[in-house]
Amino acid sequence: MKKGLKWVWLVVVLIALVGLFLLPGGAKETVNVAGEFDLTPILKLPSIGPVDLSINKAVIYLWIATAVIVIMAIVIARNLKPVPGRFQAAVEGLYSLARDGIARSVMKSGVDTWFPYIGAVFFFVLINNLIGLIPLPLGEHHQLSFYTATANLYVTITLALFTFVFTHYAGINKYGVRKYVGSWMPSGAPPVLKQFIFVIHAVSEFFRLVSLSVRLFANMVAGHAILAVFFAMALIFQSYLIAAALQGASVLIYLFEIFVAVIQAFIFAILSAVYIGGALDSEH
Amino acid sequence: MNPHAYAELGAGLAMGLGAIGPGIGLGILIGKALESIARQPEVAGDIRTNMFIGIGVTEAVALYAFVVALILVFVAK
Repeated sequence: MKKGLKWVWLVVVLIALVGLFLLPGGAKETVNVAGEFDLTPILKLPSIGPVDLSINKAVIYLWIATAVIVIMAIVIARNLKPVPGRFQAAVEGLYSLARDGIARSVMKSGVDTWFPYIGAVFFFVLINNLIGLIPLPLGEHHQLSFYTATANLYVTITLALFTFVFTHYAGINKYGVRKYVGSWMPSGAPPVLKQFIFVIHAVSEFFRLVSLSVRLFANMVAGHAILAVFFAMALIFQSYLIAAALQGASVLIYLFEIFVAVIQAFIFAILSAVYIGGALDSEH
Repeated sequence: MNPHAYAELGAGLAMGLGAIGPGIGLGILIGKALESIARQPEVAGDIRTNMFIGIGVTEAVALYAFVVALILVFVAK
């Protein structure tokens, strides 16, 4: 009986596969993956000078992420329990990851001063990346669509500029301008070599800004483009068999994207901590 | 050939060739990190943190190629 049942299942699966293969595809639709990243204003507002105040989906995703973080922090802080519940334990785990795993493990001094920034940027990037994996009805015709605010170069450059400014503020605040800029050059070198190394260091400081912002941006764009391509491939191939197979694959890619979202937030925060810590301990 | 076709060909080449180096680098990096964790499990936390920093820095190289590919396809028309 058991063995017979197995055969029946195999036949059913085979018939289903053949049926899926033979079924004609759905209506033809054009797919434009790059259109997922277009920012058409949802609410048009007048612009003040060069600043366009229109509200598009990136702005709405940023608002939602900010609201989630603020509400989460208030709810947790209002009723802290000595024995944490599930929600409190999760947030406490993330908090101690940001404090012990990121700030304390790479910064030698100034952890107490700079942990608020490191923790804030970690939570902001993390919540933004994770909310970007939830489809919201913000598409062109209010259909559900994926987008994340961190898949926008302006958002990531703003975040990287915070780290850039705070790095040099921390260094100048601790050592003064002369000593801080002087620490970019080796002390015992001839003057020509000193100037050369100074230029190299200045360029590398600028490229930190570029790499910090482009890394987060490109990771998020790549992840969302791959998800969009996998969802769209069912439309491209016009076959239910491929569509069914791709559903499994897109679930796996989606799970991988959750991992990437957490890792990118971690890397952004830890590199911010490394840069600020490096400026604080820059005395040779 | 349509001039835009060269841009798309270049985008594919940029992404494919640009992924070779970081791929090798990430393989070496993670392999060495796992090796040292296996030798000294007591410092696994430190090694893992530094490994992630290295991954972030190495991976950025591939992402520059990705950005160049995006520019070639969508901007340089």
